[in-house]
Amino acid sequence: MILSELLGRAAYVDSHRVGWVIDVRLRPEGRDPDRPMAVLRVHGLIVSPHSKSSTLGYERSTVRSPGPIAALQRWRHRETFLVPWADVAGIETDRIRLRPDHRRYSPELIISASSPPEAKDFEHR
Amino acid sequence: MRGSYPPDPGAQHPMLDARLHLLDRQVIDVDGEPVTAVDDVELSGPPDPRHLSPDDPAPAVTGLLSGVTLGTRIFGGRSPRSRLHSIDWRAVSDVGVTIVLHIRAGQLEIGWTERWVRDRIIAKIPGGRHDPE
Repeated sequence: MILSELLGRAAYVDSHRVGWVIDVRLRPEGRDPDRPMAVLRVHGLIVSPHSKSSTLGYERSTVRSPGPIAALQRWRHRETFLVPWADVAGIETDRIRLRPDHRRYSPELIISASSPPEAKDFEHR
Repeated sequence: MRGSYPPDPGAQHPMLDARLHLLDRQVIDVDGEPVTAVDDVELSGPPDPRHLSPDDPAPAVTGLLSGVTLGTRIFGGRSPRSRLHSIDWRAVSDVGVTIVLHIRAGQLEIGWTERWVRDRIIAKIPGGRHDPE
């Protein structure tokens, strides 16, 4: 399975479309001493009821500017929610099925596992 | 993006968003040389994707995929998996502004076209075997 098989795909509960998958949340799991980077396991799907496009990073809790773009993104992705992977019933060629009793959580990314930028990161730009 | 939904119980754990933190990121090798950019991400497949059980382990990232995707970006669709090269996730040492590998670019299949052009074409041009003076 590849990521692009999930992104942009419609999410359904029974025959009712509830939105589109706009991102896949990953959780670092366990530190193997033989591996420098933790295994990233799918934690859940971020589903937007109104747009297939990316949130451009505005689901991160600390990003509030530029104000007009943040406001536009908040409007486009209003009522976006995170569905835990355990509540995904199936992946088909044209849709992703969610369980009828699926849970919905806030999609805010409170703590990012991404390393903060350093000066050396910009040497190739 | 704040809504009426309750906070995710796992939200106090550090997380990454695949599209935001992995797609289109520059990949750098252990010597700091640019390798490629991430065009897609490979996930371990559930036994039967059409019928998932809550008890099935969630898919894990197994590799970063890269290839020629200009056509699909312009005209839509997506490249078949067979047209993309994979970088094993075990070769990744950090995810930040760039994705850093702990191996050299030469160890990867992904740069074979550049190496082929360098060795078979550029090397045969007079002066093509050393840096400009």
